[in-house]
Amino acid sequence: MQILVVDDDLLAGEMTAAVLEDQGYEVIQAADAVEAINQLNRYPDIALIVSDMNMPLISGIDLFRDLREQGKHLPFILLTGDDPVQLQQQEPSLNACVQKDFNLEYTLPAMIVQVMAGSI
Amino acid sequence: MALDIKKFLQRFIEEARDHLSRLAEGVAALEQGQRDPEQIHSLFRSAHTLKGSSRMLKLEPITALSHSLEDLLSTLREGQLQLTPGVTGLMYQALDQLSDQLERLAGTLDAASLAEVDAALCKALSEAANPPTSATNQAEEVAETPTQVPAAQITSRLQTQDTVRIRLHKLDELIKLMGEVVSSHAGLRALVGEAQQMQSSDASASTLPVFVRTLKDRVQSQELLMQELHDTALQMRMLPLSIVFEPATRLVRDLARSLGKQVECRVQGADIELDRQMIDQLADPVIHLLRNALDHGIESPDQREAASKPAQGLLTLKAAQDGGWVEIEIADDGQGLNLQAIRQKALSRQLFTPETLEGMTDQEVMDLIFLPGFSTSHLITDLSGRGVGMDVVKRSVVDGLQGVISLDSRVGQGTRFTLRLPLSLAMMRVLLVRVSGHLLGFTAQYVAELIQLPRSAMIDVAERNAVIIRNEFVPVMKLSDLIDLPHTEPSPRHSERQETHALLLVTRLHHEKLALEIDELIDERDLVIKQLPSHLGQFSLIAGMVTTGHNQLVSLLHVPHLMELTRRTRSRTASQTVAVSEKPKPRLLVVDDSLNTREIERDVLEAWGYQVTLAEDGQDGLNKALAERFDAVLTDVEMPVMDGFTLTARLRQEPDYQNTPIIIITSREKESDRRRGIEVGADAYIVKGSFDQNSLVDTLKVLLD
Repeated sequence: MQILVVDDDLLAGEMTAAVLEDQGYEVIQAADAVEAINQLNRYPDIALIVSDMNMPLISGIDLFRDLREQGKHLPFILLTGDDPVQLQQQEPSLNACVQKDFNLEYTLPAMIVQVMAGSI
Repeated sequence: MALDIKKFLQRFIEEARDHLSRLAEGVAALEQGQRDPEQIHSLFRSAHTLKGSSRMLKLEPITALSHSLEDLLSTLREGQLQLTPGVTGLMYQALDQLSDQLERLAGTLDAASLAEVDAALCKALSEAANPPTSATNQAEEVAETPTQVPAAQITSRLQTQDTVRIRLHKLDELIKLMGEVVSSHAGLRALVGEAQQMQSSDASASTLPVFVRTLKDRVQSQELLMQELHDTALQMRMLPLSIVFEPATRLVRDLARSLGKQVECRVQGADIELDRQMIDQLADPVIHLLRNALDHGIESPDQREAASKPAQGLLTLKAAQDGGWVEIEIADDGQGLNLQAIRQKALSRQLFTPETLEGMTDQEVMDLIFLPGFSTSHLITDLSGRGVGMDVVKRSVVDGLQGVISLDSRVGQGTRFTLRLPLSLAMMRVLLVRVSGHLLGFTAQYVAELIQLPRSAMIDVAERNAVIIRNEFVPVMKLSDLIDLPHTEPSPRHSERQETHALLLVTRLHHEKLALEIDELIDERDLVIKQLPSHLGQFSLIAGMVTTGHNQLVSLLHVPHLMELTRRTRSRTASQTVAVSEKPKPRLLVVDDSLNTREIERDVLEAWGYQVTLAEDGQDGLNKALAERFDAVLTDVEMPVMDGFTLTARLRQEPDYQNTPIIIITSREKESDRRRGIEVGADAYIVKGSFDQNSLVDTLKVLLD
């Protein structure tokens, strides 16, 4: 399964990718929302988006809203360095919101399984 | 375990360093009154990224501190907080702690090695961001009770990295040029084929001129390419001055804090690039000068206010490019040099007669501080592990960096040091000369002038040749004799002129001049200097090699070494007369309560030709010192009965010991102890941790000469 990881911090993006690749997913990366849209067009098989919240110009949540407006309904998991609960309240239609921390390697794969199970 | 932490840690460290230096620049800009919202936002982003990545790597202390910093920046960004010196102080403190943590992490690559987070600082940052009552008061309060920084950290040397980051486009440019060189080479190779064809055919007479022209064109374009390739490659070695300046400003803040002085450090021109070889060598002199400015230049807030100056002192570190040179200025607005004290010191050291000193201009008096063993601070610090005075700073600027240092000072207004340095040591102006049929080179900064004089103008001073150049005696040496060059016949064209005239290359180092007789000046041009291979590194007569047009290797003579040689030949003749009466050994008194330490110090010192007497505590030392006279006293600090500070202070009250060098050797490395050492009158303060016998012996030599 292909997953798109969007993060402006290259290091964080690669760490997220490493977590996912370890679980056997194929990861495609993008450094901002614009690149994310391009990657989505280029790789039509992408089945899930994992995006950082805090990015310059277009934030993760804005990317999510743009995609929904364009009628793209891929499952979307938002990563954040701040409080995930608050963000989830801000945008309840997000599939999930996960805190970026040391436990990401457990929380993120678990969440992906849940989200994918729900969306099938 | 999914994440290979080590691999990501290294990346994190590199990126975090970038973020921190961006943050430091940004805070400095804020401090100087720039309030660009975009700028604050990018600072906020840097703190945010630090927080995020460190959290993923479980570097909790870093996460906590960057989180607090992020909060503060966020309220600043929203304009809910006034920027006060207290707030910038807090931010600097946070940055300093973050970079400490980062260096610790870089050393161990282990998250467990991080120091525990400074909860008080985090709290202060958050409170400044979300004031419980009044934000500014709170911040001021914290800033006024700064954390004491241990001296060990302050004296730590700057680290330059052993890797270079090169912009991708620079590398691409180089590769593109390489491609062009290869294709131009193919063109030349084609010409070889043509030449062979011409050789076998008869029509050579008509095709030859065309061939020659093509060959000339191609060689010329090849030359242009090589030049460009060379320039581009040299460019890659260039590093920005910020590598030296940024940690230096941090040092200033730490030091100011520990000295209880208020100082703003302003930096300009940190983006100017120098060859990395220069950058490496520049750190020590710059730190020393900054440290001096803080120690002796800038006054305490009380003194400043009494002199109706702002309580906060200003230190500027400024760089500007000027052709192939860069000028670095280190200026303070402190009390300026005390000319009277310098004169006094020169007298007590018996360096000059009162009459000579009387005749000196203020500038000449100021320049005295560059003399070996001369430091108005009375103190030789152990800054870089060995005794360092202004003379060492000057030597590293002039000899190591091939530059010039000058100084300007006004009483009550401050002192300014200016360092003028070449941008690169790799390419320099070189004079090629011929001596006894050998080709030799000199780097231009040592050459004062080239003159031709009738031999009759030379005079005999103390059995040596000398000339008078503008009212100054300059010794003359035949270069071929000085370095024992085998003699070959000079070309007949010059021999006649040499009968009557001498061609003199006047070299200069500091205030010393030496005229070298040479046969002929061949060329003067910018050449690439090649360092000697390391196994020849000990050979100090040769500073490097250059290649001339005909692929001939030419040695560059190192002028400081030539001057040393001249002195040696001079003293050889001098010592022949007094050689028999052996110089009496200097007598030293070593005071230490540890038997081992005493014995080791005695072994070292006796090996260097000193006569050593031992004493086991301050009182014992005092008794022995009063019973007979010593040329120098070395003492420990912590001893029973009487400590080293008291001993030093007591000795200074004795007429016999007012000018005798006293060296304190101790394990106390606190700044306050070092200062106490100055106050009681010690000449040098050596920390045992950094003790090596050379530094002790060098210090002694400086003090006793």
